[in-house]
Amino acid sequence: MSSTPAPPPAGAAPAAAPKSTFTVVFDGKPIEVPKDINLIEAAKLAGIEIPHFCFHPRLSVVGQCRMCLVEIEGVPKIQAACTTPLKDGLAVKTTTEKVVQSRAANMEFLLINHPLDCPICDQAGECKLQDNSFGYGDQKSSYDERKRQFPGFGRTLIGPHVIADMTRCIQCTRCIRFCQEIAGTGELTFLDRGGRTLVWTHEGRELDNDWSGCAADVCPVGALTTREFRFRSRVWYLEKTSSVCPGCNIGCNISIESKESIVYRFLPRLNPEVNDYWLCDYGRFSSEKLNLREVGRASIPEDGGRRDVPVPTAIERIAREIRTTVETTGPGGLFFLGSAHLSNEENFLLRKLADHLACPNRDVVVDRSRVRRMKSRTEWFEGDHFGANFAGARDMGLAPADGGYDLEAIWSGRASPEVILVADGAFAAAADDPDRVAILRKARFLAVAARTASALSRAADVLLPSASLAEKEGTFTNVQGRVQMFHRAFLPRPPARAEWEMLLLLAVALGYGDPAWTPADLRRQIAAEVPGYGDVPDRELAGGGLMKKGLFVSTGAL
Amino acid sequence: MSAPEGLVLLARVGRHNSRAIETYLADGGYDALRNVLGGGMTPEAVTEEVKKSGLRGRGGAGFPTGVKWGFVPKDTKGKPVYLLCNADESEPGTFKDRLLMEEDPHQLIEGMILSAYALKCRTSYIYIRGEFYLGARILEKAIAEAYAEGMLGAGILGSSFSHDIHVHRGAGAYICGEETGLIESLEGKRGQPRIKPPFPAVFGVFGAPTIVNNVETLCCVTHIIKRGAPWFAGIGRNEKNTGPKLYCLSGHVNRPGVYEAPMGLQMKELLFGEGFGQGMRDGRSVKAVIPGGASAAMLTAAEIEDCPLDFDGLAAKKSMLGSAAIIVMNEDTCIVDAAVNLAKFFSHESCGQCTPCREGTPWLHRVLARIEAGEGRVEDITLLERISNQMANGMTICVFADAAIAPVLSSIGKFRDEYMHHVEHGRCLAGPRAAAGGAGSFAGTGAVANAASGRGAHPPPEIPGA
Repeated sequence: MSSTPAPPPAGAAPAAAPKSTFTVVFDGKPIEVPKDINLIEAAKLAGIEIPHFCFHPRLSVVGQCRMCLVEIEGVPKIQAACTTPLKDGLAVKTTTEKVVQSRAANMEFLLINHPLDCPICDQAGECKLQDNSFGYGDQKSSYDERKRQFPGFGRTLIGPHVIADMTRCIQCTRCIRFCQEIAGTGELTFLDRGGRTLVWTHEGRELDNDWSGCAADVCPVGALTTREFRFRSRVWYLEKTSSVCPGCNIGCNISIESKESIVYRFLPRLNPEVNDYWLCDYGRFSSEKLNLREVGRASIPEDGGRRDVPVPTAIERIAREIRTTVETTGPGGLFFLGSAHLSNEENFLLRKLADHLACPNRDVVVDRSRVRRMKSRTEWFEGDHFGANFAGARDMGLAPADGGYDLEAIWSGRASPEVILVADGAFAAAADDPDRVAILRKARFLAVAARTASALSRAADVLLPSASLAEKEGTFTNVQGRVQMFHRAFLPRPPARAEWEMLLLLAVALGYGDPAWTPADLRRQIAAEVPGYGDVPDRELAGGGLMKKGLFVSTGAL
Repeated sequence: MSAPEGLVLLARVGRHNSRAIETYLADGGYDALRNVLGGGMTPEAVTEEVKKSGLRGRGGAGFPTGVKWGFVPKDTKGKPVYLLCNADESEPGTFKDRLLMEEDPHQLIEGMILSAYALKCRTSYIYIRGEFYLGARILEKAIAEAYAEGMLGAGILGSSFSHDIHVHRGAGAYICGEETGLIESLEGKRGQPRIKPPFPAVFGVFGAPTIVNNVETLCCVTHIIKRGAPWFAGIGRNEKNTGPKLYCLSGHVNRPGVYEAPMGLQMKELLFGEGFGQGMRDGRSVKAVIPGGASAAMLTAAEIEDCPLDFDGLAAKKSMLGSAAIIVMNEDTCIVDAAVNLAKFFSHESCGQCTPCREGTPWLHRVLARIEAGEGRVEDITLLERISNQMANGMTICVFADAAIAPVLSSIGKFRDEYMHHVEHGRCLAGPRAAAGGAGSFAGTGAVANAASGRGAHPPPEIPGA
């Protein structure tokens, strides 16, 4: 019971510096592991999978599902790996007959009352019960009694997003622990006991917190699902693309799950430094916005309506207006407006174009949102801006240069540019505000790139059809100063195209840049020109992201 | 009750007004406390005395009490030490603590104060089974009396030792008798056992070092300190099984009840002795005996010959003393029916956190009920054994599953012919209604009055030849 080490014998050599790792032996193979991780994680480092349901690296250890049973040398009884404290010299056996039998027995217990109707269960394909049954079960059962039912507790919406079906629950309590320990709201609880134990909301409460979708994420089975995704697609048809949530400037890492150019859902992608395993409901369920394609074509006003034009024609028209203005009133008559929804590459290109034309008037839309919170592995972060890249847009130089003015000057009437280029028409505060649009409309020529229809898009002299987050690649810089990469899930539907492509076409038309540039080329230029941004391989940006200051590399996936 | 002479724990039971502090004081009560606090013994000396007495926990596991106390860390890092009295007496067939609390509450309170003194504990709790409403009322009244007499509160009897006792009523869960389940429940959480280690002596209630002792154990402490460890150690079969012991006798005997005898009483003596059970009801013979509450393996009539009722005596017979609840079943009892009854109890009382127990206990019950109802198959018997073996021995957090399978495995192992008869003929082998296809009358023993369960399912009587 005592853990006090014996004092070193007199005359012994001074003890070596304390080791920061433990040596743990898995199936006869020793490996050095950090001291502060769970045995299940340690096994993973050794390349050994210990099946489990209730264990989650960020939730308290309860040892309830009894799936992670292993043998520990020197301990007669079989042990749950998740509750076995790591220590130096621990010898773990994961392949003995006793272990194999115990896991199979546990799988049998878990399945006797679980519906075996995977074909109609929405969790199928990403179900831990399926996986572990396949990997460790016996594929047969001696259970010949009636299966348990939970009348009144099937298929019920228990909050704004989550649907609970208790016949599928395996009582692992991950959802309960998530709500208690991460969300801190504690809506869920066990009711009743024994074989009748079920998970439900407390009397009179709903599962309504800012991260309720995560309760469905941590659910290993189909007991908790989100109504937004439920039955919309079988998961094995979906393609996963690493991306960054566009919801706010925290920039949570996500997987965009899509099929045939349609986004079905966002799932959190592990990044211990930013969002860990989590994603807020606002960001998660904003995925549907990526499927809006209201502005599918370039257009110009005609006869009180609008007429579609080819994108190159539309861009040539913008270039012509800019040239004319520079020649007549000078570059001071121009105004370039970037956006937190645009990538660093796009904002950089916009600023470089302004520099090229010697126009000092540029800005980025300030579009404050309600404060959104996200917990990394160690701390809470706050985001307060729509779009993931406000910090990046500023870093790229989207602020008035000497003698220039900002957007505020236009709103207040102190400045009235002749030509305004709005590189992203999705800014919530102004795009549908008729007064604001009227102010912008005072310009002789208003060019807008947008994907969703708004008062602003309808007012544009030239409207360009832009691409969604899923349709392009680039980097965002989040509130921590972390540069993170997002990838293209599918091509934009022609003639829509990524903003950087259209900006590059415009720049080339105005005598700047090379039509062969790609986002990667732009990243290299950013690295060379923008303080704090280094030249790093894309694959490093793509992992956990890099801190622009000091180029901190995250520890990566657990 | 049997003859009062020689009784220790039950000495005052049945006396007029035995619950009141006046009679307790008149009988020499609180003398031990007065002596200890008057400078007679240091806390370490009290612990040492308990260690020397050989007192083993009376709740079921039989762990040496003094050794358990010694697990409290010397340096508690500023945390208080708590003493919990486990009065959640829920083991089917067990009713000794209830008697102690209802008839002689001050014996327990004095034992608790003495134990708390030894543990340097300021506050203790009596976690009493929710159904024991009367016991809770009596204890609360007795505690109030003790406060009024200066036996509790700040500066007890003018010494520097202060102590408070609170009574906390449970809400009706057998599993809260498991010490970590009890701790969780006391903290206001759902009553389910914790993962060990850490053990309660290091990390118990409210995260502080905690000792959990049974009512009878704490009552014994009173007498150990009063009369000395050698006196206590002198009682009992051998030096590993010492002291007076309460036995809860129930079932088909002439005189069921709580009996006190030196540890190691012969089973035969308890069942048939003049001062004890006085033999089997209606002159029938013994078929099986559960020696230590529902979680103990059944013994056959042959096995109760030379069967000392103590920790080691029963361990030698691969059963256990447990809470010393001796449930006697006569020849007319259907063992399958008995097993159904017990399995139903365990299915009802599983807390539900560990998969094997949550799923396994109802499964056992359903298969047993099916066999009992005459719808069993031969392979069901091996299935029962397989399910049982898959539930226990480290498969779960606590030993509830190990307890739940004990009656199943022992009844199959020792009465396989009855199971076979059930599956082959669809009716009981034993009992007055065996011929009519009904079952014997385990429920009629009354032993499971607190098992929160009813009878197994019975098929309608079949009339042979009809």
